Amino acid sequence: MTAVPGEAPIYFDHAATTPLDPRVADAMCECLRDPALQGNPASVHAPGRAAAARVEAARAQVARLIAAQPESIVFTSGATESVNLAILGTARAAGRESRHVVTVRNEHRAALDACRQLEREGFSVSWLAPGSDGRVEPGQIAASLRPDTALVSVMHANNETGIINDVASIGRLCRERGVALHVDAAQSAGKLPIDVMVVDAALLSFCAHKLGGPKGIGALYVRHRPRAPLQPLQFGGGHERGLRAGSLATHQIVGFGVACDLALAALATEPARIHALRERLWAGLQDAAPLARNGATGPALPGILNVRFPGLEGESLLFALDGRLAASSGSACSSATAEPSYVLRALGLSDLAIQASLRLSLGRSTTEEEIDRAAALLVACVRRLRAVLPAGAIERIA
Amino acid sequence: MKEFPVMYSALVRELFERLPHAGDLAPGPGVVAVGEAMALDRGAWVRFEARIEEGCIADCAFRAWGCPHTLAAAALVSGRMSGQAIGTRPALNARRLAAELAAPPEKLGRLLVVEDALAGMLAKAVALQSAPECPSP
Repeated sequence: MTAVPGEAPIYFDHAATTPLDPRVADAMCECLRDPALQGNPASVHAPGRAAAARVEAARAQVARLIAAQPESIVFTSGATESVNLAILGTARAAGRESRHVVTVRNEHRAALDACRQLEREGFSVSWLAPGSDGRVEPGQIAASLRPDTALVSVMHANNETGIINDVASIGRLCRERGVALHVDAAQSAGKLPIDVMVVDAALLSFCAHKLGGPKGIGALYVRHRPRAPLQPLQFGGGHERGLRAGSLATHQIVGFGVACDLALAALATEPARIHALRERLWAGLQDAAPLARNGATGPALPGILNVRFPGLEGESLLFALDGRLAASSGSACSSATAEPSYVLRALGLSDLAIQASLRLSLGRSTTEEEIDRAAALLVACVRRLRAVLPAGAIERIA
Repeated sequence: MKEFPVMYSALVRELFERLPHAGDLAPGPGVVAVGEAMALDRGAWVRFEARIEEGCIADCAFRAWGCPHTLAAAALVSGRMSGQAIGTRPALNARRLAAELAAPPEKLGRLLVVEDALAGMLAKAVALQSAPECPSP
């Protein structure tokens, strides 16, 4: 529980947000300090044009990460706004004959809450149940499509378990049926190669702070041919081709661009390195047996390890690690309203098993030394808390 | 996933870090009274055992599953029980524990489990005291 003086806490919560890459910070600071870049990118004078040039250069960098054309990128405040714009904007633009939307119950709250809003507006939403492995099968999507379906919204990789959906197959069938597909790629962009032509998505959401960039900036890819109909959520100017009103934050966008460039360059080596680190961590945790991996079967993001330690209570485990290791629990239950993770529930886990779960998410800054230190720390904390359990607790809370 | 809570008092931190009186009682003279309460849906499971010698609690230990407040409360209770005479009702209930630990209101349900386990242990201690012979485990 007490941090060791001089020893930096280990950060294993990259799925929540990644540390800002120093090279990104440098580019942003340079942009903020440069007197020549202080203009509004929408202005036609020289400082405005200089800022706009930086924005457009960054737009190209962001587009390159997903093999898209720069003009298909709309800058937003983050993935949540991108997801909302994609879901609400597509449904509202679809017309009176297309009032049906399909999504999956273990999507991120941004998608779920946007779909609930559509229900309040009179749309019909099909809430698909993922399989026992946490994935939605293309066949489920196909069976849910109707003549009035306007949109299918599916996440590429799950934020809690890392499991990957077959979005390319889903994209193909949506294209064949003339239905727009929105892919939430907030977790996968910069961690897995993404080609929007291969995925065949009409819309794809992602953001900077999950890939080494700053918080507060995201992007929505909007397919040009055929153009995905989209109604803006906010008004006040013709920015971003009329899809997202508001002055562009030059320094944020510049940082996003650099972060995408760095992530793209790292894609050749990082997934394999991080995968190896995750397996090293899993091996190191075996001394804390019994334990199990949540959502372990099939394709998954390399950096997420969702572990269940039977007999443990998540809040106590996180508190025991406080100051030494940052991670997320399945349910911290800090308030009466805290709900166990619906993603883990969808895998068939009981609420008690969810309480005993911990998400450890690794990233580009993760080192072997951190893996070994974290494994030793976790094993020690798990053993310490188990040592005070009532008899039979490990079997009951599993 | 839910965010990590930050509302822990210095006393909770200190007790959680040391977990005094956690585990089992060492073998010794006298008789052992056990009280246990479990409410998994509320997130707490607590077991106290106390060694009774000559009408007093000579030592007390606990085992628990729950949040840091639950474990800290069980440790606090175990420490306070030592030296208490059997039959005197200690002023330790869930509300008192919540006040001492500066626990947020939503933790009261878990602290009630601590209170129930303590009440069970004390009731057992009284019963054992009145029994003619109760061997140690």
